[in-house]
Amino acid sequence: MRDRRVLMLLGLVAVLAVALLLPAISDSATTNIAVFTVMYVGLATAWNIMGGYTGYISLGHAGFFGFGSYALGLLLAKLGVAGGYEPFLFVPVAGVLTAVLAAVVGWFALRTRAATFVIVTIAFMFMLQLLAENLTSLTGGGAGLAFPNPPWRGGFFNIPFYYAMLALALVGVAASWWIRRSKFGLGLLAIRDDEDKALAVGVPAGAFKLTAFVISAALVGMIGGVYGYYVTFIYPQFVVDPLIGISMVLMVFLGGLGTLWGPVLGALILEPAQLWLAYNYGVSRLYLVLYSAVFLLVILFMPRGIIPSASELIARRRARAPAARVGATP
Amino acid sequence: MRRALIATVAGAGLALTACGGGTATATPSPGTPITIGVSVSLTGDFSSDGPALVKGYDLWAEDVNKKGGLLGHPVTMKYVDDLSSTTQVVTNYQNLISSDHVALVFGPYSSLLTKPAATVVDRLGYAFPEPAGGAPSVFALNLHSLFFVQPAAIEDNLVSYTNWLLALPADQRPKTAAYATEDDPFTQPQIDKARKLLEAGGIQTVSYKVYPAETTDFTPLALKVASSNADAVILGTQVPDAIAFVKTFITQHYNPKTLIETAGPDQGAQYSDKLGANTEGIMVPAGWTSGSQAFNNPTFVAEYIAKYGGTAADISADSAEGYSVGQVVEQAATKAGSIDNQKLIDTLHTGTYQTVQGPMGFDSVGRPQGGVGVFVEQWQNGNAVFVYPAAVAAAQPEYPKHDWQ
Amino acid sequence: MILVLEAAVLGVLTGGVYALMASGLTLIFGVMRIINVGHGALVVLGAYLSFVLWRNLNIDPFVSLVVTMPVMFVLGVILQVVFIRPLKADREALSVLVTYALALGIEGLLGFFFTSNYVQITAWYDTASFPIGNFRITYVYIYGFLLCLAILGAIFLMLYRTTFGGAIRATMLNRTAAQLVGIDVDRVSAVAFGIGMATAAAGGVVFGITNTFNPGSHYDLISRLLTIIVLGGLGSLRGAIIAALIMLVIEDITAVLISPVWADFVFFVVLVVVLLVRPQGLFGLRVRERL
Repeated sequence: MRDRRVLMLLGLVAVLAVALLLPAISDSATTNIAVFTVMYVGLATAWNIMGGYTGYISLGHAGFFGFGSYALGLLLAKLGVAGGYEPFLFVPVAGVLTAVLAAVVGWFALRTRAATFVIVTIAFMFMLQLLAENLTSLTGGGAGLAFPNPPWRGGFFNIPFYYAMLALALVGVAASWWIRRSKFGLGLLAIRDDEDKALAVGVPAGAFKLTAFVISAALVGMIGGVYGYYVTFIYPQFVVDPLIGISMVLMVFLGGLGTLWGPVLGALILEPAQLWLAYNYGVSRLYLVLYSAVFLLVILFMPRGIIPSASELIARRRARAPAARVGATP
Repeated sequence: MRRALIATVAGAGLALTACGGGTATATPSPGTPITIGVSVSLTGDFSSDGPALVKGYDLWAEDVNKKGGLLGHPVTMKYVDDLSSTTQVVTNYQNLISSDHVALVFGPYSSLLTKPAATVVDRLGYAFPEPAGGAPSVFALNLHSLFFVQPAAIEDNLVSYTNWLLALPADQRPKTAAYATEDDPFTQPQIDKARKLLEAGGIQTVSYKVYPAETTDFTPLALKVASSNADAVILGTQVPDAIAFVKTFITQHYNPKTLIETAGPDQGAQYSDKLGANTEGIMVPAGWTSGSQAFNNPTFVAEYIAKYGGTAADISADSAEGYSVGQVVEQAATKAGSIDNQKLIDTLHTGTYQTVQGPMGFDSVGRPQGGVGVFVEQWQNGNAVFVYPAAVAAAQPEYPKHDWQ
Repeated sequence: MILVLEAAVLGVLTGGVYALMASGLTLIFGVMRIINVGHGALVVLGAYLSFVLWRNLNIDPFVSLVVTMPVMFVLGVILQVVFIRPLKADREALSVLVTYALALGIEGLLGFFFTSNYVQITAWYDTASFPIGNFRITYVYIYGFLLCLAILGAIFLMLYRTTFGGAIRATMLNRTAAQLVGIDVDRVSAVAFGIGMATAAAGGVVFGITNTFNPGSHYDLISRLLTIIVLGGLGSLRGAIIAALIMLVIEDITAVLISPVWADFVFFVVLVVVLLVRPQGLFGLRVRERL
């Protein structure tokens, strides 16, 4: 038991070391991929806090991503902040604003359950997209919103963004870990298993659900803010993009819904794969077909995700051995 | 515990495999083949224009290789799909430049994607000649490395048309005008400028609507325009809405005296095969027409038909724009005696370049200048021809527009 | 004022088309409790099938339905058996992902075969119209609306007058109980999915005649279809039809009266408002359910 724990800790340290030193050992194109990958690690982990722990599947999280992006962009524009390190300081503000929005949206949406909830989140996402498109005097509409352009040159540019995304991802994982160990987390899992029974036992389901929703959305909003700053220009249909929303869901399912590390693993696998597939196969137009094939294979053969499936496999292997010994006839 | 262990091992393994080293680029030695990288939209929102650009680029690459290559370097084009997405376009240009070490890059489709791509390319020190990002906000980027290869900045596209309208004799001139435009950085600036000019010239605006580019059903909008009974209809459209508006006008038996659309009628077969004979009389601002005699254009048209089939009327303006980018780079390289990106950037800011869209030069932020501007093209008898100004016109403008069939 | 009336008429006619597409979607949900987010892609697939028949064999789009509907029905059964039936645990959440993957796959294949150029099915009569007062109504919208009535009528007939229809309704009410009384719910599910696909084919024809489309057109469609079925009440056929009509009329009137810019937005606002008052939608049943 102790050895395993030490091994695990060492493993974690190793991964963290690689993550921290990545920019030093890779070229800027790879760092770029790393930025988007770590972005999705954060997104998937954040989504899991709601979808994995409470069982309420939100397909509209892209709305919060976009909102966080616009919030940060507009803040920076209104305050006249120049490009550089300063904008990063405003990211938490974008997070707070997104949290407020999520509280409002959540209040409406969480009155519904199951399939209706899913569709309502989709509806809210499209409403946000439409608002971004149509409030042109505020958001620039279809012409997009510009972020300040940092003065960093070529090779260096991606690095601060990588660390910003990494920081947010670590915050997300830490939050996810803390929630699991807390009474709050226990309540969430109870809601996932059977909400009415949880209510009957005294779990404040409404408040808990809303809290999880808000935390999840705030994280996503902050990540959206950093994203906007990274790509310098955001447009309604690209930043409130259903594909972003569904990707984070798929990553969580791939890794293992409701687990701590599942979303991380899912993102580490899927995002580089997606970027690589698009880059190399997009031109042949088979990119979508390949992507969907991978998608389908994962869901049909590993519906519970990699981590639960893998642990199950290992557990089964381990269970067989002593049973054989026990059953052996003299 | 176990789960975390699996995850960390898998994660560490993945992280390590993703690492790679980087090397600096160097100007290739004479005679070695070079690759030119382009990110095109082959899937997603802009995917109806991506393939046309590719055709133009490919044709240019073929032509330049027939002459021995770009300054003696045989050219291979490398295309990557940006899924019409910001994330992908940024990744693509980073990969092309920093991983694949292409010698040069050309621009993607649409001002929307050009902006993030331009900032990336500029940061990495490459030249960025691009065929399709001409909105005012593109030039507001103040990038020295960007060059918009079209005869004029987008917002002036309708100026020729307004000149023609206002020059009509007073009794023939339209009294009223209806405007409808997507809130797109390509279409809206054109419409707004045209409206300003026409209102100043005394043509009353009876309807003005801006609609989201994401609209799916254009019928209510078209009904609104039709019910305004305006003499002139000026639409800021791309292909789908261009067609939808016309179809509604046909069903409502509404035939304005003059109808112009900012994009759609210039896309050749993609437009005409849905309207057939009803393209008659519809106008579009164009810097290029298949019949123009601009530098090398007849050769371009002939080669295009030989390679891709169809007729001259099927050729999309996007292909001509792609071809022009190649021409400009070719001439700049010859002038500079090198394909080094920095030298190309410096050279491109001086002098005039000849393209199938006519001559052009570039100011310090990449805005085209010295070109002969954008003209008015009109469909007549199944062919799109320049009708104004007289200097380039191949036919008289048809006014008022013939009725629908 | 006339404009508003015109918009209302237009809304009813296009509402019919959306009703047809939404009916398949809500039926699928009712029987299998899955959200088929690939329904938009299936409509586009149906549109392309009719497009191919029209372009290569010159078959009138409405006539082509004789071919496309059965083909899509069979395809639907196959898809259900291969991709959806195997989902056991977490069926509803996973089904969203599976159907989305199918939608992407269909979009990819269509893009591969047809490229992303916009196409449209043009029939010789597609701009023919007849006048009502100052306004002209396009024949195609009328044909589409009649087609919707016909197909929806047929579905209702089947559901309420045949034994199999009874089996479908039973499965929609309570899957386990239906199994207990001896209904083969797997077969019912497969057939329901097939019917859903067939209606998508029909909707696709009208959609393809009245809009230019390309493989990516399914996103806009699905967001509206999902909103419609939630408004109508998940699983309620009657609800889907009424919701479709209401939504489209409101949207078209808003487009003409206020601004096209807010028409789409109003769509979703209506949904939110109704759900505040009636979380189960207009005709939905109030059930305690888990996703």
